[in-house]
Amino acid sequence: MRIPRGRLVRSRVVSDPGVALASALDRELTGYAVFEPQDALLLDEGTAGIVTFDSGVPVLAYNTETDRGGADALADLAVPGPYSVELYEVDAAALEDTHDTPELRVAPDVPADRLAGDLALAERTREAAPDDRLDAGDPADPVEAFLEDEEKIEAIREQAREEARTRAEEWGLSAALDDG
Amino acid sequence: MVEAFAVASGKGGTGKTTSTLALGMALAEQYDVTVVDADTGMANLLFHTGLDDVDVTLHDLLVEDVATDVSAAVYERFGMHVVPCGTSLAAFRAADPERLRGVVADLAADTDVLLLDSPAALGSKSAVLPVVLADRTVVVLQPTIPSLSDGLKVQEYARSYGTETAGILFNRIRDDADVDRVVDRAERYFGGRTLGVVPESDVASDARRAGEPLLSYAPESTAAEAFRDAAARIDVRAGDSEDVADRFRSAVVPDEV
Repeated sequence: MRIPRGRLVRSRVVSDPGVALASALDRELTGYAVFEPQDALLLDEGTAGIVTFDSGVPVLAYNTETDRGGADALADLAVPGPYSVELYEVDAAALEDTHDTPELRVAPDVPADRLAGDLALAERTREAAPDDRLDAGDPADPVEAFLEDEEKIEAIREQAREEARTRAEEWGLSAALDDG
Repeated sequence: MVEAFAVASGKGGTGKTTSTLALGMALAEQYDVTVVDADTGMANLLFHTGLDDVDVTLHDLLVEDVATDVSAAVYERFGMHVVPCGTSLAAFRAADPERLRGVVADLAADTDVLLLDSPAALGSKSAVLPVVLADRTVVVLQPTIPSLSDGLKVQEYARSYGTETAGILFNRIRDDADVDRVVDRAERYFGGRTLGVVPESDVASDARRAGEPLLSYAPESTAAEAFRDAAARIDVRAGDSEDVADRFRSAVVPDEV
């Protein structure tokens, strides 16, 4: 994906990607957000997800590490936070060519709904989206792509098992563990 | 007989309390059901059951040196025994989470199905205790990545304590959401059965505002129907209530030194 260099308007670390999506929507950002998950446990270093926006409404998603786009790119971003997020502003005209990339498109509300799990933000995004975007959304669902990634699911489960054990010790619950 | 279920979800906003009460009311057609607000830090079951002005709640049972009989916090509502929890931060701080074990043991001695409305978090001992104490969990999910990954986390935490998954329940599903493929794929990773897919519905929030469980407020609604079907898919296992009560009393949580 070729994307014109933008002007940095916001940079912060968030635990929830929804915070950045809400920020883009509220400031009606035309430009893009770069998400870099801070937890290197579940992914290779250097992974960055990019979501572009037109007047605050998500248009494209792309992952620089996996080279996947659309719903798959959102699924690749699905790791436990925190994320560092940078929002960049770009002239609408300069983004026109970039946005003419159907294979990278996501439905307007899908990042808020499926990636951030924020129903209210998804609703606000639908309200802000032009009708033609709502009608022509990419039917692919990042949740399906996420559930297809057995390796990632197993990593999440393994991490949870280890965490449960460590915390059981902290809380004096080790004796209640199944093999305790 | 008694079986204790923790109704859990890793993430807030899944409609867990609505689900707990809906499953409870549906199961109460067939069983003696007790519903406990085990989310002692973010209690809200009292608002769903019109019990927000009662004097005695679970919090009072969890405070040391307050000689309150468990029955004082049990209210007969909507065909169930309901144990609400208060919302005072001071009471939460004063509460000793380990006393939940004894409370659950007392309640288990006298009911068929015990539903523990569990915290949407795993970050503290009081948040984890319901899944430690329960026989099985019902995991409430939404078809989103954070809800599913948090649900997987809850399942692994629960399994670490020998608590298997009784089933998963997808809740608050928008009409236009095609979730079949997500449900099919999710089933591969969760134990138990898929209990149901409950549509998002304004009546759920209307019921909450009216201080009534959904199945009482709008029994004919599509969501209520879906919850009743889900409850019918739970295979409640008979257990000896004295055995279960003893287990809660003795074995589960060691006393703090």
